[in-house]
Amino acid sequence: MSGLESWLKEATRHLAIDSIAQVRREIGEHYESAREAAMANGRSAEEADRIAVTALGDAKAANCQYRQVLLTSAEARMLREGKWEARSICSRPWLKWMIVAVPVVLVEAAATVYFHGKVEVARDLLFAGIGMSPLFAALLLPINTPARGRVFRYGKWVAMTLAFVLLLGPEALKWSWLLISCIWLIGQTEWTRASIRRKLPVSAWPRHLYL
Amino acid sequence: MNFKGTLPTLILEALAQEPSHGYRIAQKIKERSEGVLDFKEGTLYPALHKLENDGMVESYESVENGRARRHYRISRAGRGMLAKDRVEWLALSQAVTTILGEA
Repeated sequence: MSGLESWLKEATRHLAIDSIAQVRREIGEHYESAREAAMANGRSAEEADRIAVTALGDAKAANCQYRQVLLTSAEARMLREGKWEARSICSRPWLKWMIVAVPVVLVEAAATVYFHGKVEVARDLLFAGIGMSPLFAALLLPINTPARGRVFRYGKWVAMTLAFVLLLGPEALKWSWLLISCIWLIGQTEWTRASIRRKLPVSAWPRHLYL
Repeated sequence: MNFKGTLPTLILEALAQEPSHGYRIAQKIKERSEGVLDFKEGTLYPALHKLENDGMVESYESVENGRARRHYRISRAGRGMLAKDRVEWLALSQAVTTILGEA
């Protein structure tokens, strides 16, 4: 394996396929220019190769920096899956309306149960309905700017935490381990989405990236 | 010399003169600093991508010596950022020079 090839292999580790192609292309162009300049200065082909690769520096450091600005394979996968999910829901209006109806059904169920005298169950259903409403309402709200997306995300976390606290009442602290273990996965997804938002220009954001 | 954190400003300064491709930007920085600012060229492109994501530079394809190459040019926002960075850097370097001069 040539010096450049092993440098590229290390520098593109864990990057998405498109990002790898981009890095290979730009570093390839750079390497060629550096090699030509070295040969124009009277260096042999082998020496010119070595100088051009050495000038690129540490491949691990470059990989670390590339991963901060280009999509990684995990981020590209999340983007693909998100698009697939959004397409699946948006292409089936009945599914979209069914999802939107979930909080409404929960609130209606709470009212029905309440009139049957089961106040505790009614309260739980009501809080669950309120907590879930922002998540499902996202399908109908015009969230299409970064500022609106930010407001929605804050609202989503507040609603989810509030619903949890109201559902468990005084025992919320005791059951916080459950909340933390549930939020861990959601938090990881949110973290990856935030990373994708930093890397992509707003014009390239799919709808689900705002949420 | 370690000049961590100033590379984006140096790239913007190099592009403020004329649009350029990555290799030429790196050479310009090295030449203009008379070899004092010698950095690893593999770190230039992540910095360029970051500047592009932030809207400070724009990239486009151009053919040079029969080869298609990606060129970069500074945007209006980039010029604004460069002017701001220049003022901050002058104030900072003046302050450091004053302190070191007192020692």
